[in-house]
Amino acid sequence: MDPRCRRTMLTRVKSAVANFMGGMMAGGSNGDHPGGSDLPLKFPYSRPEFLGLSPDEIECSADHIARPILILKETKRLPWSTGYAEVINAGKSTLNEDQACCEVLVVKRRPAGTDGSEDLTLHYWALFDGHAGSGAAVVASRLLHHHIALHLQEVMEILCTPNLLPPTSSLRGAAGAPGSPSTPPTRFFTEKKVSHESLVIGAIENAFKDMDVQIEKEKAVYNISGGCTALVAVYLLGKLYVGNAGDSRAIIIRAGEVIPMSAEFTPESERQRLQFLAYMQPHLLGNEFTHLEFPRRVQRKEVGKKMLYRDFTMSGWAYKTIEEDDLKFPLIYGEGKKARVLATIGVTRGLGDHNLKVHDSNIYIKPFLSCCPEVRAYPLGQCEHGANDVLVLGTDGLWDVLSNQEVAEAVTCFLSNCDPDDQHRYTMAAQDLVMRARGVLKDRGWRISNDRLGSGDDISVYIIPLMYGNKQN
Amino acid sequence: MAYAYLFKYIIIGDTGVGKSCLLLQFTDKRFQPVHDLTIGVEFGARMITIDGKQIKLQIWDTAGQESFRSITRSYYRGAAGALLVYDITRRDTFNHLTTWLEDARQHSNSNMVIMLIGNKSDLESRREVKKEEGEAFAREHGLIFMETSAKTASNVEEAFINTAKEIYEKIQEGVFDINNEANGIKIGPQHPTTNSTLSGSQGGQQPGGGCC
Ligand SMILES: Nc1nc2c(ncn2[C@@H]2O[C@H](COP(=O)(O)OP(=O)(O)O)[C@@H](O)[C@H]2O)c(=O)[nH]1
Ligand SMILES: [Mg+2]
Repeated sequence: MDPRCRRTMLTRVKSAVANFMGGMMAGGSNGDHPGGSDLPLKFPYSRPEFLGLSPDEIECSADHIARPILILKETKRLPWSTGYAEVINAGKSTLNEDQACCEVLVVKRRPAGTDGSEDLTLHYWALFDGHAGSGAAVVASRLLHHHIALHLQEVMEILCTPNLLPPTSSLRGAAGAPGSPSTPPTRFFTEKKVSHESLVIGAIENAFKDMDVQIEKEKAVYNISGGCTALVAVYLLGKLYVGNAGDSRAIIIRAGEVIPMSAEFTPESERQRLQFLAYMQPHLLGNEFTHLEFPRRVQRKEVGKKMLYRDFTMSGWAYKTIEEDDLKFPLIYGEGKKARVLATIGVTRGLGDHNLKVHDSNIYIKPFLSCCPEVRAYPLGQCEHGANDVLVLGTDGLWDVLSNQEVAEAVTCFLSNCDPDDQHRYTMAAQDLVMRARGVLKDRGWRISNDRLGSGDDISVYIIPLMYGNKQN
Repeated sequence: MAYAYLFKYIIIGDTGVGKSCLLLQFTDKRFQPVHDLTIGVEFGARMITIDGKQIKLQIWDTAGQESFRSITRSYYRGAAGALLVYDITRRDTFNHLTTWLEDARQHSNSNMVIMLIGNKSDLESRREVKKEEGEAFAREHGLIFMETSAKTASNVEEAFINTAKEIYEKIQEGVFDINNEANGIKIGPQHPTTNSTLSGSQGGQQPGGGCC
């Protein structure tokens, strides 16, 4: 299908959350405005709400020369004494394109129950890394948690009944009286058993999808520029869930050991998925790209000769005879941080980017991007955690220059030198981490330890102590 | 609000000397006796008028503790003015001035205007550092000097405004390259970009350059 058709079709889809977030879809959409610049912003550019910055402070925060590290004010508290710090880039964009959100949400039983005994409390931390504008990151930082809450609400009766396996069909309505999950429908012995955990994972996954659809639809009425990655941590009923779409990263540091909680989605890590899509739907390449990968650009004089290549079916390499078609630009090109899809974008999952096209062409990038997160669960309540055991969430600005091991060592070392009663220690640890990744401006640019290059990117970091998960629930 | 110039300041000095209180007194005209320890950087801003021109002061208040020194040092860059503060009731804060000054000189641009401030002048009975000592230190190192009280607001306006006047004069003399933001000076959005159209000048020299 032509990507534009797909777009218009989705624009017409009525979302389940259309009325929920207010202000949107009042009346019919009058089509997409690709430029969008004449449309109003849904949310003005800002820094994370929990920082509570005034317009003057926001102006100061955007100083590309001194790059101030912003931390939580002393008067502000995040749940679990979470630490947070951020810094703006060294000049690659006027604004800080990272965004963050942290909320404690109470999901109410629907229809509202008489007592609050079955309310679900949801802890939520999120980082968004925008590109090609701050619009999508700002919108996602304001709304994604509502989508998650909405999806959890749909299954909360089941989630609140630990000894009841999720029924295969019909939550309410047809089978059984509404709101009485006590009469489980008959099970067939061939049925797959679905865990509570995977219901939460499904809720998070669908929330990402709805968020993406909402951004696409609202582009008709608002100016929502660019796209963004999203990394969320959700604590619910004793478990910690980490959902990631993009190249941010989450790790748990437990007794100094690293437990990775996410994997990055990049052109290189997703090569086979992208190649397969292009192979199945070659029109998406607009006759300008080849889905095959070669170790370097193929030259015209090499037609008829043999060269190394790989296709979507391969992780290894083989030789093929070069044809005319192989001269096209490769779908995935470049290495490491420079790897790009369609010579345009370096991250393959995230929200937004619906208008993004290959420069000077009509080829849309969006079909290759996926808004689907990978969600991992961690049984927080079942593990013992000390005061130095934390979940670290960081945008790529952090991980580009520091390894998991370096981060673990820095955080563990910093926290063990802190007064354990100091409420600010996780914030100070976050500030220390951002400082280590940003470095100091020398004659030859920003430098970190061992005279390595510091990160010139926006950097945002949460340090979330896990011991609070022990005590709750 | 529109301004002709924006000047960036940094406030430095030992912890507890009253940096955060000075900032609050200047921006909000109030004194808050118990102020949380600054563990990062905090910002304030206020508009003042010099020579009939609106000038926006953007002020960075820093953490004085030794453990945050490397972070604080990284904020000198791009400041047009610095308020170096000590506490007249604590001699050690005066003794540390040399270290602060070395830090400031090493990490800032050479034209940065430094105002030395002896704070807590309301606590005369507990004074440990004589006013003359402050004056002598300032003279020796080419700083401007004032004693202030963030509590009574005495001299607080003057300290911030006199620093701005000094910066403004340097601009008039052409010492600052105002087109280089690393100097801590920004020209306001409405400011004409060529010298010839500058209005209300008082016969002083116009900023140099203006080639672009
Ligand atoms: N009496 C008096 N106390 C002051 C004055 N300025 C600050 N203080 C007190 O000194 C302490 C430290 O002030 P603060 O602004 O937090 O110092 P900072 O660490 O340099 O930012 C606080 O308890 C203030 O109440 C002043 O001018 N007079
Ligand atoms: Mg302070």
